[in-house]
Amino acid sequence: MRHFWHWLLWLWIALAIAGAFLYAPLAKDFIGQSSRILFFHVPMAWGSFVAFMTAGVWSLLYLGKRQLDHDRAAQAAVEVGLLFCVLATVTGAMWARVMWGAWWNWDPRQTSIAFVLVFYAAYLVLRGAIEDPDLRARLAAAYAVFGLVVAPFLFFVLPRMATFTLHPDAVVNTRGKVDVDARMLQVLLVSALGFNVFFFWLHRLRWRLLRLEARRAAEGLTMMTEAQP
Amino acid sequence: MSAPGSLPLPAPRAAAMAGGEVGTPVRRWLGEATAVFVKDWRTELRTRHALHTLLLFAVTTLITVSMALGPLGVSSGERLAVLPALLWIILLFAAAAGLPRGFVQEEETHTATALRLAATPSALFCGKTLYSASLLLALEALLVPLYVAVMQLPVVSLGLLFAALAAGGLGLAIGSTLLAAIVAQAQGRGALFPILAFPVLLPLLLLAVELTRGAVAGSVGEGVLANLLLYDGALAVSGLMLFPIVWNP
Amino acid sequence: MGRYNPQAMTAPSDSLVEFTDLLRGFGRVPVLAGVSGQARTGQVLLVTGSNGSGKSTLLRCLAGLLRPQAGTIRLREDGRELDAVERRRRVGYVAPDLAFYEPLTAEENLTFFCRLRGVPARRAVELLATLGVPARRAAGALSSGMRQRLRWAWALLHQPRLLLLDEPFQNLDEAGEAAVRTLLDSHLEDGLAVIATPSPLLVPRLAATLDLSRHHAASDRPTAGRAGTA
Repeated sequence: MRHFWHWLLWLWIALAIAGAFLYAPLAKDFIGQSSRILFFHVPMAWGSFVAFMTAGVWSLLYLGKRQLDHDRAAQAAVEVGLLFCVLATVTGAMWARVMWGAWWNWDPRQTSIAFVLVFYAAYLVLRGAIEDPDLRARLAAAYAVFGLVVAPFLFFVLPRMATFTLHPDAVVNTRGKVDVDARMLQVLLVSALGFNVFFFWLHRLRWRLLRLEARRAAEGLTMMTEAQP
Repeated sequence: MSAPGSLPLPAPRAAAMAGGEVGTPVRRWLGEATAVFVKDWRTELRTRHALHTLLLFAVTTLITVSMALGPLGVSSGERLAVLPALLWIILLFAAAAGLPRGFVQEEETHTATALRLAATPSALFCGKTLYSASLLLALEALLVPLYVAVMQLPVVSLGLLFAALAAGGLGLAIGSTLLAAIVAQAQGRGALFPILAFPVLLPLLLLAVELTRGAVAGSVGEGVLANLLLYDGALAVSGLMLFPIVWNP
Repeated sequence: MGRYNPQAMTAPSDSLVEFTDLLRGFGRVPVLAGVSGQARTGQVLLVTGSNGSGKSTLLRCLAGLLRPQAGTIRLREDGRELDAVERRRRVGYVAPDLAFYEPLTAEENLTFFCRLRGVPARRAVELLATLGVPARRAAGALSSGMRQRLRWAWALLHQPRLLLLDEPFQNLDEAGEAAVRTLLDSHLEDGLAVIATPSPLLVPRLAATLDLSRHHAASDRPTAGRAGTA
């Protein structure tokens, strides 16, 4: 039964990909076929935002109840979120190369996503620097809750403080304000839904893996893959 | 060394009982924050470690930058774009080198235990933040004139410059204090701090640089100072709310 | 001016510390495995055990410096129940790892804490005099015996009801130990104490002894599911 939902998800995403290349029209001010990247770049960015907000919520739950499992959920959310964030950054750079000739130019949105990337990469570095599980969970949770303030600021406020930019703001503002072609919007939403569901699935997998690793550590079992002394 | 005589039973135990301590809550809170601030400065003035670190680091970096740019320095057309940015980079790195000591030292010398048992977290946070801010402002007071002279930074609006230094410096201090409290309890504190701090402090830096550019150009775009103060405020609120969690188990 | 709570002065002077089934491990190692005990006004609970049996960990949990992974801790002062945050501020704690600010004098150190605790600064001066600690000497220049006396002074600044003492007579010479015992005796008139010691110790008003080594030996196997996993 579970596999049905997985197959449905794959089908859904395949549909989104097909739609991106076959169904949706090209956007007006874009060079060649490059507007198609939006159907992947934007959902990735949204997905990472959802991931980081999820991490913040699980962290709050941890701080309330102090159940280590909640901390694991937060960690899993950050890890998957980082994956999405890296992909969003890379697809953004690819698009910047086509549109503006340079992979990277500190356009407000590029800046934002880069800062978010470093912020959550730092979360993982922080976790790596603390031995005691309870202390690690508490400090990482505090940092992730801090992210609940920092991430929205970086995603939504910083790009609008465009005084420091040399380039005009993003040509296509897909924050829902500009009138986007109906078919483009459809594909975008299909893709966004698909990738967000994909995030939740990946998150659950990663969370389960972390839980199993913790249980294994607690029971003192050794796996054959571990190096022998 | 006096011999242990009979100890007169301490003046009213009641005075120190929970609920009966001296002074109103607000005055006591202010007293605590002030006590932390004074204690940090008193310790600092006796050892001068933080001041030396900050100053030496900043001046060394300034010398390096100036030397690397050569005798002609930055061409006058480029000054507006480049010089404010360099100034804040120096300040950022100096802050990262010198400010985390506030908490790292407490943990390393194990004085943090006594503080955890005796201090109110919010008052402690405020005291430490003010201490960091005053350190940074002291650094700015010494470094900025030097920078202006060495790099030939043409300042038109002193008001904007002071606003940038004050608001930017305050933000750096608040962010650094919270993150230092986190980092102080982890391993690899020295290297870990910049990694955690930069994503948080860089947006602040961008705004401060913009404001400093305004000081050179004479005017600045709308809302930059407001945004900077808003960011400072967000950092302050986050810090106050998160610090007790970071500090106490 | 000061705000005294008249109720506090006349409430029944019943103070109590009670802990039940405390569990605290570090990573895979369970240090405290289901430890319980209590003490009331005028009583001393002695905690004994070999090195590593969890004595310091227990005292840290009671002080609020560590959070136990399971179990409860209760502190009642003069009839009033305290929550975890209040407990942390109200206990008096002496332990070998307590340190003070080396560049500051003993007096400056203690008056700093007086200000933090809202206690008049002369308490610091009085206690330093009683314990014979040179007030004007930098904390960094104190001998280990003097440091221990300073720790005692620090612990008593705010007149706590519950004293948590981890190896409290360590490094003290005869005079130091005598001074400190006098303070302990007068504290026990309306206070209580939990004292941890690795070796046999004579304490006044001993009510119970909690031996952590035996407790530990019984639950020494790393038990599955204990390290807080779901």
